[in-house]
Amino acid sequence: MADTYSSKLAGITLTDPDGKPVRLGSLWAAGPAVIVFLRHYG
Amino acid sequence: MREHEDAFQQKGAKLVAIGLGDVGYARQFREDSKIDFPLLIDDKREAYKAMGLGSANLLHLFRKDNAAARKRAKAAGHRQVKLGKDPFQLGGSFVFAPGNKDLFVHVSETFGDNADPKQLLKAVQGSSPGASLPSVSA
Repeated sequence: MADTYSSKLAGITLTDPDGKPVRLGSLWAAGPAVIVFLRHYG
Repeated sequence: MREHEDAFQQKGAKLVAIGLGDVGYARQFREDSKIDFPLLIDDKREAYKAMGLGSANLLHLFRKDNAAARKRAKAAGHRQVKLGKDPFQLGGSFVFAPGNKDLFVHVSETFGDNADPKQLLKAVQGSSPGASLPSVSA
């Protein structure tokens, strides 16, 4: 498979503000996802 | 972006934001901005690096496109409350689909260089079965 942006991100796991881990690839495994990288909070 | 959350959901898409900063900062942002969509923390900048999202510099402050973006943001009622962990970090917007398909890519080149939500919505709409995919911009 081509090296897509989504494939680069899929294996990374981040946490939400409550400490819950989320594997990024799971976000678009079943349907489309809009991923927005913020420049800053606030 | 939160104004468009319902439109994305109606098209069957999730909206997720990723930001720098620690847990306390993210919680405060979530509370202040009253966002309902998931917010994830990338305090090690792992995802930002994977996407190749770069940094601006002081000279970007004087670019015409930056001035125009600041004017648009001000007119829309947005204001920057905090500078954040790295005020020079640039952002980006992406639409991904099952099978690790990139439907839309926008990597910010300077402050205020954000994807038009209409473009994101168009990419989401194009992900429905049988639809032709929109062109990918960079």
